Amino acid sequence: MTKSLSKSFKKALWVYHMNSGSCNGCDIEILAVLCPRYDLERFGIRLVGSPRHADVLLITGPVTRQMEGKVQRVYKQIPDPKVVISVGNCGNTGDVFFESYNLVGPVDQVIPVDVYIIGCPPRPENIINGVAKAWMKLETLEVKT
Amino acid sequence: MKTTGKTTYQLPIGPIHPALKEPVMFEFEVDGERIVNVNIRLGHVHRGVEWTATQRNPIQVLYLAERICGICSYCHPMAFSLAVERAAGIEVPERADYLRVIHGELERICSHILWAGVAAHEIGFDSVLFLTWQMREKGVDLTEYLTGNRITKGITMIGGVRRDITPDMHPKIQEALQYYKENFKKLQQVFLDDKTFQMRCKECGVLTKEDALAFCAVGPTARASGVKKDVRLDQGYFAYSDFDFDYITPDIHTGEVHGDVYDRIVVRLLEIQQSIALIEQCLDQIPAGPIVSEPNIQKLLTKLKNTSGEGIGRMEAPRGEKVRAPTYNNILPWIPMLTNQQIADIPIVASSTDPCMSCTNRVTIVKNQGTSFLDKEELHRMSIQKTRRLCP
Amino acid sequence: MTQKQRLNPEELIQSIKDMFTTNIQDARIEKRTMGKKKTEFYHLWIRLDKTIFKEAVRHLQSLDPALHFAVSSGYDLDDTIELVYSFSLYHGVRHQEISVNLTVALPKSDPTIETITDLIPGSLISEQEKQEMLGIMVKNIPKNTRVFIADDFPKGVYPWRRDETGPKKLIRNLHKEKI
Repeated sequence: MTKSLSKSFKKALWVYHMNSGSCNGCDIEILAVLCPRYDLERFGIRLVGSPRHADVLLITGPVTRQMEGKVQRVYKQIPDPKVVISVGNCGNTGDVFFESYNLVGPVDQVIPVDVYIIGCPPRPENIINGVAKAWMKLETLEVKT
Repeated sequence: MKTTGKTTYQLPIGPIHPALKEPVMFEFEVDGERIVNVNIRLGHVHRGVEWTATQRNPIQVLYLAERICGICSYCHPMAFSLAVERAAGIEVPERADYLRVIHGELERICSHILWAGVAAHEIGFDSVLFLTWQMREKGVDLTEYLTGNRITKGITMIGGVRRDITPDMHPKIQEALQYYKENFKKLQQVFLDDKTFQMRCKECGVLTKEDALAFCAVGPTARASGVKKDVRLDQGYFAYSDFDFDYITPDIHTGEVHGDVYDRIVVRLLEIQQSIALIEQCLDQIPAGPIVSEPNIQKLLTKLKNTSGEGIGRMEAPRGEKVRAPTYNNILPWIPMLTNQQIADIPIVASSTDPCMSCTNRVTIVKNQGTSFLDKEELHRMSIQKTRRLCP
Repeated sequence: MTQKQRLNPEELIQSIKDMFTTNIQDARIEKRTMGKKKTEFYHLWIRLDKTIFKEAVRHLQSLDPALHFAVSSGYDLDDTIELVYSFSLYHGVRHQEISVNLTVALPKSDPTIETITDLIPGSLISEQEKQEMLGIMVKNIPKNTRVFIADDFPKGVYPWRRDETGPKKLIRNLHKEKI
């Protein structure tokens, strides 16, 4: 992993964060990752305001009925090669909300997911680990295209 | 091109927009830079928690309620358990009441500091965001030390709490409180005395006292408009009636009430100080005794199944009174606040109520299940379903 | 605060009973104590007929102009839908607040209720929510749109109902799904 990571550090990774109906737990942990304690920005990873600038889609929440179309649209707006990371249990499996009438998720029912980060919410260390994995995947995708 | 007559433009913002952290949709009607009217669409985060709650037993609902909102993950299950305790007539041990206060105030500190950071971010002051979030980590560390988790705390149990705070844990709490006391001055300088903040936040997003009352605003939003409303004081739940504290309105600091964004910052900052004092009082006075009324979950569930009644759990969550989510009530006040504001001010005004969409879009679990009815048939039906699920 | 004389819980219930006499079906005071000092506080539970509901709210407002509407909740009880409106009076002075919960039963054959948005504008979202979740009709509601559930959500499905109009068809059973 270290070897492949050192290769990837050539370019900065830009991340678009989207909330598809999450409880904010994951969202604040993502922000915490970017803030001084964990400081992911020192690796050139930063949140961007538009999906068109992003390499990675960080998606939280179990995808509610209202958000389904919007999730798909944002996914299409991200230029290739792209990687989708589903953060948190409810995005991965539906978790406690699975049975609800207003859910179309989990996320992988709506758009393809590359990396799943488990936890409710995941610890910041876990999110960093997931982003690093996405980075490696992006590297392999870049070679192919 | 139309040259005569007054024209307004529609400006939709959201549900996905960089300035909004959570999905919500505003339809603004703007005349040049001025906002004339606002229409707000909610529901993008509606996950049907109320309905889901009716399919679970009361103890499972605690964990569901915790996942309503990650920032006030303590208040939702606590409000639910308060409602259930009242409906079922469960007496909570005194020590548990004190422990509940400590956790509640700790959450308030974290939530207000988090909000301060987001507010700074909204006016483009990211260095302050980093400063406040660095401070927040101390509180999150303490939460983890006391409950085992950073965000979803899993500390609530119907009739008490799940973990005790032993005397050997006190030094760590005091250390964290000391840290916040030392840094409070810094926060005050950055937020209250800084010129940039004053220029952006004064006279901006004004909510008058009349509007606050009419639209039923709650929490710091209402208090910043001069409405003395704080469930901790109005009705002492938990052990709050034992402590010495008072309503916080902005005139304590500035001598007058404007109800603008600046006032909301004042209220929240002063409340951090208040919460520190409350935790200290709590640690001094905490009585010995059990931390939960019925440690055996099976027995507790049986008791709950055989109870019917109604109860209501009202709590002062960091963002306001919680029976339903506070944002629920603070959404309508957005309309007077936003009218006649400039477009560039939208983010800070909107976030000045510390909105929490996921809270709004669901809560009321307390109403559907806990508060309203825990009748026998319903519980029985739930219990049968549960059994069927387990042994298909 | 410049208000009329504060009533204590017993007087409050009495004043409502005096005013509406036969239309009050039930009224009880829930007294609780909290903390080491055993401070008392009160919840009033009043069950009344829907014909006088709005008048009752108006009466409460005359007792305390700053009447706070907390939330309304509702549930399906087979033949009727019950709504509970939670108000609080006299906030602003420590330990003086009284919660008043008004319960109104609406028959499913005629699930209508008067809006209280003209008295308390802040109740709008709560009333809209009751409409979409329980399929009741709020008469004269100023804004008759959905707030929480999507516009393309099937019509005639009310998530909080327990009868045939409930969300049964839309839910997923964890044990039947193949994931």
